[in-house]
Amino acid sequence: MDPARADLIEPASLAALGRVELIARWVVDGFITGLHRSPRKGFSVEFADYRAYQPGDDLRYLDWKVAARADRWVIKQFEEETNLRAVILLDISPSMAWAGLPGRLTKLAWAERAVAAIALLLLRQKDAVGLIRFDDAVRTVLPPKSRMQHWHRILSQLGDPGTGEATAAPAAIAAAAALVRRAGLVVLVSDLLMDPGPVISATRTLRAMGHDIVVLHVMDPAERDLAEPGDALFTDPESGDALAARGADVKEAYRQTVEVAIGEWRDRFIASGASYEVVMSSEPFGVALRRAFAVRQGLP
Amino acid sequence: MSFLSPWLLALAGAAAVPLLLHLMRRRIGARLDFPAVRYLRRAEREHSRELKLRNLLLMLLRVAIVLLLALAAARPLGPGLGPGHPPTAWAIVLDNSMSTSAISEGRPVLDRLREVARRAAGEASSGDRLWLVTADARVTTGSVSQVTAAIGRAEPLAGAGDPRAALDRALALVRSSGLDARHVAVVTDGQATAWTGATDAGHVAVSVFAAEGPPPRNRAVTHAVASPAYWTPRGRVEAQLRSTDSVTWRVVLGDRTVARGTSAAGEEVGVSTVPLGRGWLAGRVEIDPDELRGDDVRWFAAWVGDAPRLRVEREAGPFADGAVEALVQGRRAERGDGIAVTPADLAGARPALVLAPRDPVRLGAANRALERAGIPWRLGEVRREGARARGLAGAGARLDGARVARRYQLVPVSGAGATDTLATVSGEAWVVAGDGYVLVGSALDTADTDLPVGAAFAPWVAAVITERLAGNTGLVLALAPGAPLAHAAGITGLERADGSVLPLVAGTTPRAPAMAGVYLLRRGAARAGAVVVNPEPGESDLTRLGTDALAARVASTAVATTSERAFRAASWAGGTRRPLMASLLLLVVLALAAEALVARRGIGTGAA
Repeated sequence: MDPARADLIEPASLAALGRVELIARWVVDGFITGLHRSPRKGFSVEFADYRAYQPGDDLRYLDWKVAARADRWVIKQFEEETNLRAVILLDISPSMAWAGLPGRLTKLAWAERAVAAIALLLLRQKDAVGLIRFDDAVRTVLPPKSRMQHWHRILSQLGDPGTGEATAAPAAIAAAAALVRRAGLVVLVSDLLMDPGPVISATRTLRAMGHDIVVLHVMDPAERDLAEPGDALFTDPESGDALAARGADVKEAYRQTVEVAIGEWRDRFIASGASYEVVMSSEPFGVALRRAFAVRQGLP
Repeated sequence: MSFLSPWLLALAGAAAVPLLLHLMRRRIGARLDFPAVRYLRRAEREHSRELKLRNLLLMLLRVAIVLLLALAAARPLGPGLGPGHPPTAWAIVLDNSMSTSAISEGRPVLDRLREVARRAAGEASSGDRLWLVTADARVTTGSVSQVTAAIGRAEPLAGAGDPRAALDRALALVRSSGLDARHVAVVTDGQATAWTGATDAGHVAVSVFAAEGPPPRNRAVTHAVASPAYWTPRGRVEAQLRSTDSVTWRVVLGDRTVARGTSAAGEEVGVSTVPLGRGWLAGRVEIDPDELRGDDVRWFAAWVGDAPRLRVEREAGPFADGAVEALVQGRRAERGDGIAVTPADLAGARPALVLAPRDPVRLGAANRALERAGIPWRLGEVRREGARARGLAGAGARLDGARVARRYQLVPVSGAGATDTLATVSGEAWVVAGDGYVLVGSALDTADTDLPVGAAFAPWVAAVITERLAGNTGLVLALAPGAPLAHAAGITGLERADGSVLPLVAGTTPRAPAMAGVYLLRRGAARAGAVVVNPEPGESDLTRLGTDALAARVASTAVATTSERAFRAASWAGGTRRPLMASLLLLVVLALAAEALVARRGIGTGAA
């Protein structure tokens, strides 16, 4: 395996190679290697610190004097960058702990690794990252910090599934607003199996406070295209709601309904100022991250 | 609609399977964790109408597929546009009568008829039953190739045959086939004399092809006889010719042309001659060949012998003597010892023409004389009734209508040999004949009968003398080719002109030979008469019927045409019923395609 491009490996195969921490590092390393320039832009003029050059950094911010004097390659960082505060909202409701195929990562397992990678990516850029986990209530809250040790605290919070019977994203979003006073970044990672009204309303409020919002709608491929052709009692593990149907009969209607629902989510999130991406739990992490952050970071 | 395999309709019961599956489709299968139940419920809610319609449509399609398969398996027959025809009992009547040998437009009419018949029969399929019936009612059956080959081998008959009997035979064959679809096709030249009255075909469809165009002009010898049939040795040949203009003719006896000439249209031909030979003589009247060769020659036969010697007893009466004198004057007989014409009481040796005595007191002497002469009859009671005589075959025909005022009952004696009754009165024998005798139950006196003053008397005397008494020459039978051979008791064969003998098969109805000509009847080594075979005079009339008239004369259900295409279409129409299996299977394929399309496309595709 080429660990430099671990972000492009099929997630279940990659997850089998190590713990979340290791996987997240590989993903981030591969992700950054794949960039041709730093994902950051809009650097302010107020110098703050140096950091080691990493492949992919924009050479405009390389300190040539230091390179000439000390033969060290360092990148100049500015105060504005370090002040980015991000909060990741992770949905840990029972519906997230589901995979459509036995060998596939559950949506939660995939989301945890993606969250770890996002956090590491932000921390490496000296951004402060916090984590809020929620199901039918906010379960854990880690305020944003920019030190690398904080990543390990984040990792220790992951892997603990929720016990609630619903998803209370609005409460989590409100908690995020309380954690980040000034304008920052809020990343919501959820399967969005919830009523959209309160979520959109909360998102709109958050957006009014000046926060950037990125929504990663995690789906299992079997949720997008119904795979069960026969008669079955389809049961929601989260709410216990059950419905008897013949998969072959409703397959097409279901697919259309899901597409309509995704379209509704997208339209309403975009209307509220948030960016929205559907990511599949079978997709490589790097592909999903690129899709999620490409527009915001101006990636090719 | 009917079915060839109706028991397979039971397969329709399998239609319950998709119906039950449809009714049980909400059967709950395995429990399955599925977080997006809210989307599933929403899909069902938003597409419930389409889902129900789709499921109903699928159920109906699947039920229809099973039903259509069951129907197809039962091999239905019914109205429709199905290809081919149902298994059909199909008989073709090929009119190969003599008239079809006429040359029209450079080739025999029969060639065209065979061609049409072959092509029509060639459209049969393996499920059909085929028969070919020719105009002589001969039947050939078998496969398509066998029947078409038989059609190709069919030769024209020497006579008219019997197309009516052939049609009846064909109708009987198709009716006995056991198949529902029955058809008789008739291929004919449409000769008016061949079709004289419609056959009731019942429910059997009959299609008729009639030869196209006008008939060829025809000259024919329609009648030729030796008159009388027994020449002594002088005789006469009488003939009739059919022609619209003058025609040249020849009369040939044996190998010798004895007369020739030219006659105007409708003129009769009569030729007197004295042949050199004795015994049976074959002759013919010929005209020049024309488009129909079969009737350009007509045969006749005569028995030629020396003039018989007659001795008339004075008691026989003046009428008998006068008749004999007329024969002598006409050189048909001579006076002398030979055949006696005598009253019964004076009868001596045979041959003799024996008359009843005038005086009843001579009755006893008459019966004793008859017994002495070996005549196996005796005279019984006197009958006085004034009834008319009924003449029978041969020379007896001339006695028909004679008034009989007084007669003796003729009583056969036990042990009598073969006898012929020539005439009867009130159902009782009046004139009988046997070996060397002819016995009349009345005296030749106007008080007993008006026979001796009638015009037929002298010819009758001449006939019985030549046919019955002047030597046992036998019969002359004029028959059409293939006609039943009557009066054939004891006949063992027919002698051809070259001397070879055509044996008659015991146990079967003897028939005249198929070829025209003169054949001598053989009773063992002896010649017992002659059969003259000639085509029926009506066969020379080639006038054709129009298609409507022809159809009306052929059968009640007949449709006639001169178009081969229309004839073939009508011949294989099979009524209005056709096999529907192929159409049903096509519907099954379409239903399967529709079912697959509906099942694959699901609900809402294309509408979204």
